[in-house]
Amino acid sequence: MEKDFLEHGLNYNRRRFLSRLSLGLGSVALGSLLIPDLFTGGMDDASLPPGIPDFAPKAKRVIYLFQNGAPSQLESFDYKPKLREMMGQELPPSIRAGQRLTGMTANQASFPLVGSYYDFKQYGDSRAWISDLFPYTAKVVDDICIIRSMHTEAINHDPALTFFQTGAQQGNRPSMGAWLSYGLGSENKNLPAFTVLLSRGKGNGQGVYSKLWTNGFLDSTHQGVQFSSGEDPVLYLKDPEGLSRFERRKMLDNLAALNDLSYKEFGDPEINAKVQQYEMAYRMQTAVPEITDLSSEPDDIIKLYGSDCLVPGTFAANCLLARKLSENGVRFVQLYHQGWDQHGNLPQEMAGQAKDVDQASAALITDLKQRGLLDETLVIWGGEFGRTNYSQGKLVRDNYGRDHHPRCFSIWMAGGGIKPGMVYGESDEFGYNVIKDPVHVHDFQATVLHQLGLNHEKLTFKHLGRRYRLTDVSGKVVKDILT
Amino acid sequence: MKISVKGLAENLLFAANIFIVFLLGFEGSITVPYWLQPLGRMHPMVLHFPIVILILAMFLEFFRFNETNARETLYQKFTSYLLLAGALFSALTVVMGLFLSLEEGYSGKILQWHKWTGVSIVFIASIIYWCRNSTCYKLYAARAGAILTVLCIVVAGHYGATLTHGDNFVLESVTAPEKIPVVPIAEAKVFDHVVMSIFTQKCLSCHNMDKAKGGLMMDDVQSLLKGGKTGKLFVPGRPEISLLLERIHLPLDEKKHMPPKDKAQLTNEEIALLNLWIKNNADLERKVVDLPLDDSLRLLATTYLTPAESASEEYEFAAADESAIKKLNNNYRIVSPLAKESPALAVNIYNGSSFKSKMLDELTSVRKQIVSLNLSRIPVSNDDLKIIARFENLRRLNLNFTGVSDAGLKQLLVLKHLEVLSLSGTKVSSAFVKQVGKMSSLKQVSLWNTRISEIEIQQLQKTAHGVALIAGFKDDGKHPIKLNQPRVSTEAAVFRNSISLQIKHPINGVQIRYTTDGSEPDSLKSLIYNKEILLKENTTLKARAYKAGWYGSDVITSNFYRSIYQPDSILFLLPADEQYRGAGAKTLTDKQLGEYDVNSGKWIGFRQNNMEAMLFFKQPVMMQSVTLNMLRQIPNYIFPPTGVEIWGGSNKNNLRLLSIIKPKAGKEGDEDSSIKVEAKFKPQQISCIKIVAKNLKKLPVWHPGKGEPAWVFVDEIFLN
Repeated sequence: MEKDFLEHGLNYNRRRFLSRLSLGLGSVALGSLLIPDLFTGGMDDASLPPGIPDFAPKAKRVIYLFQNGAPSQLESFDYKPKLREMMGQELPPSIRAGQRLTGMTANQASFPLVGSYYDFKQYGDSRAWISDLFPYTAKVVDDICIIRSMHTEAINHDPALTFFQTGAQQGNRPSMGAWLSYGLGSENKNLPAFTVLLSRGKGNGQGVYSKLWTNGFLDSTHQGVQFSSGEDPVLYLKDPEGLSRFERRKMLDNLAALNDLSYKEFGDPEINAKVQQYEMAYRMQTAVPEITDLSSEPDDIIKLYGSDCLVPGTFAANCLLARKLSENGVRFVQLYHQGWDQHGNLPQEMAGQAKDVDQASAALITDLKQRGLLDETLVIWGGEFGRTNYSQGKLVRDNYGRDHHPRCFSIWMAGGGIKPGMVYGESDEFGYNVIKDPVHVHDFQATVLHQLGLNHEKLTFKHLGRRYRLTDVSGKVVKDILT
Repeated sequence: MKISVKGLAENLLFAANIFIVFLLGFEGSITVPYWLQPLGRMHPMVLHFPIVILILAMFLEFFRFNETNARETLYQKFTSYLLLAGALFSALTVVMGLFLSLEEGYSGKILQWHKWTGVSIVFIASIIYWCRNSTCYKLYAARAGAILTVLCIVVAGHYGATLTHGDNFVLESVTAPEKIPVVPIAEAKVFDHVVMSIFTQKCLSCHNMDKAKGGLMMDDVQSLLKGGKTGKLFVPGRPEISLLLERIHLPLDEKKHMPPKDKAQLTNEEIALLNLWIKNNADLERKVVDLPLDDSLRLLATTYLTPAESASEEYEFAAADESAIKKLNNNYRIVSPLAKESPALAVNIYNGSSFKSKMLDELTSVRKQIVSLNLSRIPVSNDDLKIIARFENLRRLNLNFTGVSDAGLKQLLVLKHLEVLSLSGTKVSSAFVKQVGKMSSLKQVSLWNTRISEIEIQQLQKTAHGVALIAGFKDDGKHPIKLNQPRVSTEAAVFRNSISLQIKHPINGVQIRYTTDGSEPDSLKSLIYNKEILLKENTTLKARAYKAGWYGSDVITSNFYRSIYQPDSILFLLPADEQYRGAGAKTLTDKQLGEYDVNSGKWIGFRQNNMEAMLFFKQPVMMQSVTLNMLRQIPNYIFPPTGVEIWGGSNKNNLRLLSIIKPKAGKEGDEDSSIKVEAKFKPQQISCIKIVAKNLKKLPVWHPGKGEPAWVFVDEIFLN
């Protein structure tokens, strides 16, 4: 940091100017050799400040209903009758094929296969199999695209979550929402482009940390803004008693002037980011109460989302809030619902978790649709990995657990140019390996960016001498699921 | 020595000329031996020498008769040597080129042009060399010769480059690629538009009239049917023995695999298409749509003909001025291009309270460019729609929850490009919906939460050609769901004389029924909550929410305790456990109950010793009961006390035992609960109380921690 300040002082001296000039000309010449289309416009895109899509987008906004803890695909969207038939039998080593296991089951003497406690039925025109735990999702099955062939690289929650959100397991990279904010800018200048809403079910939970919605090395204006789950979603937004709007404005103007002085002295861009954040907070003071006031929602909406949708901090309330935020131009609304980590007592806990989210998730689809917004809003539902087809711990018909499983799991996507009423990909009859159309996490990320009009290979940011992207060095858009 | 070298070179040139004539004459009957082939293939390398040397020589030749130059011997000699060298090199190049042309794969018009201009260079240069010193060779002859030679070099060079690099090589990157007109599927023919398209993309660069490798040309039907040197390309109806597919299916490393390893390969779909086309007798006339509906060839051809990615829509209008767009942007009106280099604009307006019609009016400067306009929840009036009707290229219009109605909406019927119209929550009526067919591009209208009923929408849908009318979710009352629990507004569970409570429910219009006697509330007899409840005694409050069309909520239960007196100070005689000290002794009278979480900071725990506390009052109070609120969690070693003693008196040195209570002992399987240990005694004036609660010193044998001491936890003391 100190070095940056010194550098800033040097910006204007003659010797430096000349040395820069020669260096600059040299690098332009070299650059035009190394980067063939430097002057033809192709590469310009990367160096221009982004904010406009590369091509016309199908989706303008994303609502990501993250099911934190990893819901079991075998009790939700991946129907495997074979597992019921083979209940209690050993997982064939040929299927496991040396897959590493977590420390929680690696030492288990046996790996008894376990079928879903819950029944599955087929729904909609797509005849997709959905478990009885998700009756509301089943009703909107013709609006969603179920992907049963997801796979990831991480095997534990935190790295897997971080991988899903930032494209790397280690953290410190910008989150998907931050990338979108960086790539597309905000649709509504009175709200942050990237907001985060948390809720928690009664099931065994895993923490979420603010590093999941970090801006990483991007400008801090792209950081996710967490709305609190209390009655006041944004804390300290109200002016203190006795402070008028006029005085607040005056205070901010003076503060901005001071910050400007400071910027002129040190040249730290974060100072400008700070000023912008103050300004946005000022505008949020009028915009947020309007959005977070759920009391004017008609009864139909409350029945649609379920009665919990007016209880702050529930998943249903967050879904309703997410719709309102998205409707008001928030690019990326990230929900996390905790409590999906069923290492034991799965049948009972999963029923509770599903009840928490099923109605509201489906309601969100219906609600967006009836406002004519679904085709430009991408909704994503899913966890960070899947769960094993064998039982963790003792297997009883109505009480078993499932360990983490990265090789194959299910998510669904809807709206935003994703084919409705589709089931994509397939797992083997044990639900253990993907046998058709695998979708890697980076493929998924590339697809999300693509739907928003961004080329995942072009959306880069240079940091520590290297261009970074959300999809790291891989990722292919899953074209088969696009309209 | 010099002279002999010059003589040798002249002889060589003469011989080369003869040899070239010979080669040209007997071209048809010559085969180049394989060991000479490398020589031929060096043609593209050697040809650069004669070009440079000859151009320089011709330049000098051009100015040869200038006065000063004519007298300069060195100039004359140098030109002469240069010309000789150039002619020799060009002869060598031509010989090599002729060898190369005899190899497989070169024929056609371009080659002919290249060959004859190239040969001309040798002849002209040689003639100039031998004639330039004769007397009839004057200024004009020299200049004409020089120009002619250079011209030939340029032409030969051009065609040569075309042969190796293909047509339009130089300007390819600059000239816009030719747009291939999209054929509507209804008119597309399998052969013309699918098969030929594959050939053109993957084969034609080598198998064309100019460069017919293997004697095969694929420019048109006739030459295709003729096949190449190896034979006919395909046998109609027999893909398995067709040469075309055989070559395609050979392993990639095989020399005869087509297209060659380093060229673009056919995709699986393309191979399948060619296979099916040959299988269907390699028909040349059939249209795609004439094939049976489920025919594989038809399905594949349809996919092939549909533009892969519905490429970004092309707009007919030009982009708006960038500075105009910038000027229109402010905190509540966002105008942004749909994508980079797209002329189309999307406009979002936010914050209804700051909206004025002027904000729409100002958009007129970019009215042709706006394709998407979002006015959701903005107080837009019917008059404003007049402005919007002029945004002629609008594709999406969101008017959800605005003040518009039929009268204004009618003006929008002129929007010929409108595709998505959102009218949820407006006063639109079915009269307008009946007319939406006039908007020829319209695909979707959302009508949720309008005056038009679901049945009406279903009716309207029947006549709305191609326009999806979205009704959305309307509760039909057939599948009621359960209300959520009401909430009690206060956190304080302990009160002094009385407490006023509010019961809240987030859903409007809910009726809350409650009881204070511990019985279950119901929807008929229980008290109806209204504004507030006043409690004066220890009370168990139970409440439920009801609303028509919903199932009643679960019961919520809250306990309230009265504690009239507040001691002025409290003192522990024996220390509490280090981990569970709460906020010190005053925690016992903070009016906060700790529920079941001992870590909440509201519980005080003792294990090594009994709980012994002394409470002091500055003024004596009339007291008749002391209640301890304690915890029982058997699995966590938390047991009821074995005995509680209450001592009272006027000061700490003058205490009498007022009461001893022996609460029920903890048993295996007891549920977790809070227990009230109440000691009653004769009403009397008291200034000081000592409370002793003894913990169980040895856990019973059935408990996992048998023999160890049990915990006692206290969170509150009620004094009455």
